[in-house]
Amino acid sequence: MEVHQQNKIFNTQQMLNRKSPPTRQIPNKINITKAEEITLSNGVRLLVIDVGSEDVCRLDFNFFAGSRYQQKRIESRATLAMLTEGTAGLTSHQIAEKFDYYGSFCEHATDRDFGKVTLLSLNKYLDQSLQVLEKVIKRPSFPEKELETYRIKGKQSLIVELEKVTTLARQDFFKGLFGNTHPYGVYAEPQDYLDLQRNHLIDFHHKFITANRCTIVLSGKIGNDELNTVIKHFGESNWGAESTVLVDFPTISTPVQKKFFSLKADAVQSAIRIGRQLVDRKHPDYCGLVVLNTILGGYFGSRLMKNIREDKGYTYGISSSILTLKELCVLVIGTEVGAEFTFPALKEIYAEIDRLKVEPVSEAELDLVRNYLLGELLRSFDGAFAIADSITSLFEYNDLDYHFFEKTIETIKTITPEQLMNLANVYLRSNDLTECVAGPVSNLN
Amino acid sequence: MIEIEKFCLDNGLRVIVHNDNSTPIVSFNLLYDVGSKDENPNRTGFAHLFEHLMFGGSANIPVFDEHLERTGGENNAFTNNDFTNYYITIPKENLETAFWLDSDRMMSLAFSKKSLDVQRNVVVEEFNQRYLNQPYGDVWLLLRPLAYTMHPYGWPTIGKNVDHIKNVTLTDVKEFFYKHYAPNNAILSVTGPVNTKEIMNLSKKWFGEIDKRPIALRNLPKEPKQLESRKLEVERDVPFNSIYKVFHMNSRKHEDFQATDLISDLLSNGKSSRLYQKLVKEHNLFSDINAYITGDIEEGLFVITGRLFKDTTFKIAEMAINNELESIKNTSIDGYELEKVKNKFESNFKFGEANPLDKAMNIAFYELLGNANEINLEVEKYREVSAEKVKAVASKIFTETNCSTLYYKAKSNGSSSAE
Repeated sequence: MEVHQQNKIFNTQQMLNRKSPPTRQIPNKINITKAEEITLSNGVRLLVIDVGSEDVCRLDFNFFAGSRYQQKRIESRATLAMLTEGTAGLTSHQIAEKFDYYGSFCEHATDRDFGKVTLLSLNKYLDQSLQVLEKVIKRPSFPEKELETYRIKGKQSLIVELEKVTTLARQDFFKGLFGNTHPYGVYAEPQDYLDLQRNHLIDFHHKFITANRCTIVLSGKIGNDELNTVIKHFGESNWGAESTVLVDFPTISTPVQKKFFSLKADAVQSAIRIGRQLVDRKHPDYCGLVVLNTILGGYFGSRLMKNIREDKGYTYGISSSILTLKELCVLVIGTEVGAEFTFPALKEIYAEIDRLKVEPVSEAELDLVRNYLLGELLRSFDGAFAIADSITSLFEYNDLDYHFFEKTIETIKTITPEQLMNLANVYLRSNDLTECVAGPVSNLN
Repeated sequence: MIEIEKFCLDNGLRVIVHNDNSTPIVSFNLLYDVGSKDENPNRTGFAHLFEHLMFGGSANIPVFDEHLERTGGENNAFTNNDFTNYYITIPKENLETAFWLDSDRMMSLAFSKKSLDVQRNVVVEEFNQRYLNQPYGDVWLLLRPLAYTMHPYGWPTIGKNVDHIKNVTLTDVKEFFYKHYAPNNAILSVTGPVNTKEIMNLSKKWFGEIDKRPIALRNLPKEPKQLESRKLEVERDVPFNSIYKVFHMNSRKHEDFQATDLISDLLSNGKSSRLYQKLVKEHNLFSDINAYITGDIEEGLFVITGRLFKDTTFKIAEMAINNELESIKNTSIDGYELEKVKNKFESNFKFGEANPLDKAMNIAFYELLGNANEINLEVEKYREVSAEKVKAVASKIFTETNCSTLYYKAKSNGSSSAE
């Protein structure tokens, strides 16, 4: 009997405790990999991030050349897209052949503020790839024949995009928030593609794709060879017009109309967007708003996900995010819900927003969110390209102030439930929110 | 070169470790050898629905995500026709939490009714969002049953229709779990700032006490050789006509696989590829055209999809595609072009290895194929493909009787397409 008892105790001690989690540690210090910053002899700023084991690299050109600088709709996007469609001495086909042969990927992207060109290359072919890229960026020829292909392709894919309820709701949201003629609220229409003129693109390139509007970020496994190659092609002589172009940026006003609806009668789901203009990243409230947004809809376990997906099953996914623009940020909640759940979902979204204003978040939930956000921050330094993205975003919106990370960490660790409730009461007033629905069911009375 | 160390627990769990000190984050990837191909034809969509239920709490841990988020971790999962893959990224300091969580749900789920009720709805909305509420969203619901008459690749991972998902019961869920979720039916790969010894200790501690389960030998119905050309026409409320052509191809482990993949690259990887240059740029027939392979483990599909310009008829579109396929069959490709697609493959592959989480997923997938170390031989296998091989494989695949064709017609401009 006694022996048996002892054995039992022994077994219990050996048994794993599966009920409670292993001890966890909160990283109290995050090692932030800083970029090496070099000013090239032509004045271009080059940021170098040398992390990685594979012999590959990524080169990003970030131009102040987003759609806010364009005179006519889609000029910015078309100019960036057409860079690889012909240069002095190389046809579109030849450019494509060369990049493909060397296993390089040349991509472009435009948003409201920036025009970007990205090259992914094997280190062993970086020089060959850059010989082409140099022409692409400095001396594009915008051939009329290629432009015609771009026009009809672009028009066709936009028409397909406009069939989606998510596209309709997103466009209504930004048009509603900024006005449909404001640079932050304007959207292209299919006809705009047909109206594109070659000389507009030449002009846009001349003014905006220039050394003095550019920051270059080089990331990956970077040695002297890679660095010198980049300098040889882009750092020695000046390129592009020097004059600083001043482009009028209309004042952002507060929206008057707050509800919008786009009918898509045959859709089985409604797309919903709810949100508002928000302070920029330098504002003292910004970091706190990041925490508030995370609680509301910024991660899988967020309140919106828990309620609207995991409890009610109205949707496959719902999230809330803070988008960063140069002049300010935008808070947006987005989801697609079964059409029959449109109203119940709207009701629950507002209920979750209101709960943030009257009920202090529990320590347990806040603790979870703090740790989740610190993990996210760590993840943004997971590999060379992730680091490049994080640092690029710093330079774009905070003028390369690493202090921003420290400030964010500090806020994540110390913000209190009361402070969060105050933020909710200031920034989440129902009257300030713009609501857009696209689908078969109208939200307008 | 990815340095890999492997070991196997007594219960059959295979574990693969790769050390990478360039990141503060560990990628923890657990793959189960069960996919939609293992489903009953009258209960499709189950493997994927089950993946959702794996987040609904396990025997000792009622809430999965919260614990992970509390340690700064993040996770997700996906299901395809062949397997189900769960992955976690987590700060190195808290790696043990991943072992705790994933071993508990391997041991036993909570089988909660509430979770099943909700996730059924969530998956129905996923079905709506991805397949019904997108222009051209239902294409694979049409193409798969056209190409496969017997084999379970005949339905997509989401399922044949939502009724199959709506009718699932808790008994089905339990049965499925014990049939397919087991240490001896799983592969764990861990990459990041870790060493094999600590991973072995953690694996033994958390997964070691889970018993082996009887896993039935997979015995999938064989797809009979297609002997006739198949055609389907549908009309939908979309802005433009589209054409889809699919051909049966060899399995992932077949010696022709790499050559087949390279053929799809010749046709449409990059802007210099044949279909894009000829049919989009030169002849202005399509606004978009693509060729790719499904990459399935069993015998998969070689797919060509094209969106037609308004003035292009289906007949012209199809003829133009066929011409390009004939040209690969009849004319040996030159050394330059072959070298180009091989370089492109190598680059793609290297960039995949540069992402820590992708690396963990790829290692587990190669182990599922037979041996994780083979990941280091893949580039060489592509390098060895000869021009003759390309021609021979193309001739085998691109025949009229091996092809299923879908004309996806736009309702509004049907007139311009019919003649």
